[in-house]
Amino acid sequence: MKQQEFFSSRWALIIATVGIAVGTGNIWRFSRIVAKNGGGSFLIPWVIFLLIWSVPLIIAEFAIGKSTRMGPVGAFAKIGGKKYGWMGAFVVFVATAIMFYYSVVTGWCLRYFFSAVSGDLFKAVDYEIYWNQFASGYQPLLFHFISISFVAYVVMKGITKGIERVTKILVPSLLVILLILFVRAVTLPNAVEGLKYFFTPDINVILDYKVWLNALTQNAWDTGAGWGLILAYAIYMKNTEDISLNAALIGFGNNSISILAGITIFSTVFALVPNSDIAMKQITQSGPANTGLTFIYLPLLFSKMSGSSAVNLFFASIFFLALFFAAFTSLISMVELSTRTLTDFGFKRKRSIAIVACIGFLLGIPSAIDLRFLANQDWVWGVGLILSGAFFAFILWKYGIDKFRKEVINGAGSDIKIGKWYNYVIGILIPIQVVILISWWLISSVSWDPEWWNPFHAENAGTAIFQWATVLTVFILANKYIVKRTLNKNNS
Amino acid sequence: MNLSTIITMIIVIGLVWGGLGFFLLRAIKYEKIKSENGKD
Repeated sequence: MKQQEFFSSRWALIIATVGIAVGTGNIWRFSRIVAKNGGGSFLIPWVIFLLIWSVPLIIAEFAIGKSTRMGPVGAFAKIGGKKYGWMGAFVVFVATAIMFYYSVVTGWCLRYFFSAVSGDLFKAVDYEIYWNQFASGYQPLLFHFISISFVAYVVMKGITKGIERVTKILVPSLLVILLILFVRAVTLPNAVEGLKYFFTPDINVILDYKVWLNALTQNAWDTGAGWGLILAYAIYMKNTEDISLNAALIGFGNNSISILAGITIFSTVFALVPNSDIAMKQITQSGPANTGLTFIYLPLLFSKMSGSSAVNLFFASIFFLALFFAAFTSLISMVELSTRTLTDFGFKRKRSIAIVACIGFLLGIPSAIDLRFLANQDWVWGVGLILSGAFFAFILWKYGIDKFRKEVINGAGSDIKIGKWYNYVIGILIPIQVVILISWWLISSVSWDPEWWNPFHAENAGTAIFQWATVLTVFILANKYIVKRTLNKNNS
Repeated sequence: MNLSTIITMIIVIGLVWGGLGFFLLRAIKYEKIKSENGKD
């Protein structure tokens, strides 16, 4: 199959890829996790794991996509051998399963933006009741439909006329909005208290292994490393494009935005509540499906931001618009990944998009109408992403990490050369991190669910292992067929 | 703000935002070289 489209420039590729990495996790999950893990104490391991998890895996994704020009199924078969196409299929499945409920979350952000613009948001007396009324009604379904339809339209337009054009507008707009909110937040009276908490380290907390594991988890979840999404965009990068410098830009760009959002939220919350205990309670409150801070407490805080209701509505509107842009640009990449996998499999692109959008809408319905289902899927496939990261490391090991580094990563177009340290990170550190992280999450679930083995509970080891095992069994059994069809269609 | 807070702020912001700035400047430099060489 001939490669037909490319991102028009390095900057277009970087902006689109930053759009993948920056999602709602940077804005609402990051602040909550920082608050729960000792503020400044959390930031130090979080920066370390950027270097030994996120950036190396982003490099791997860029290199695999650029060198194979195929989605994960074909790419894994080409790099690791035909026996391992099922690993690529699992990577795609995990990101697609996340897409089902992420479209629902994107819809929530859009709905709250409209509520803020119309002034309806500040008419609420109790924001928890307001949220519950919204979540239990038909609107999550409607906005889920709108979100996935818009995204399908963008992907249908193609790489340069669709994805590139839209991300070139949305990603810079998101940055501008976050900067406006940042300036407003840090100039609020008492905002410095938020900054103090955000940056003050506590040596006892730094020594707590759970803080390190949460820092690693945050990097695994919010940079998009090991999801297969960056690989899907790397298919469309030019042969003369660099890999390693671009990967570093994405990783550092993503974490820079997390810091910007974190300072903004901590400053706002500490400035607008009576004391730091209440501030901490509000930031760490996860609420149903982790919605507490964003959809219950922040609207309340925005309503108190100044004496002018119009000004408050303006800031609330642009906050939810930023959240929507962040979610929307990530959702585009999820739809593109599934679409590309189907086109590799032999379907026409337009038909593939229609299939992905229809299935995405239908399988997102349970999450749109039941938050427990959404929480289950978020748990199962969120932890499943770590397994995806492991498969990327495995496939490079199978090919020969040193050979891959010299031939592909440091090959044509590379601006900077990656040294031997990369072999140790991919060959030793990533596998160690995967084993520790998956074991910790599954073992931890025993403490919050006595029936940890029960696959019909929302968040425990049983449901995660049951769903992973089902998907892995299907793909391993079908491996020969899916690999043969994918490679044949691309050779014809 | 105490000294440890300020030091952490400098380290974290310096590493993350400084790292971004560093890599961004390198990318701009290499893009300039590539366009001068007519590669792109």
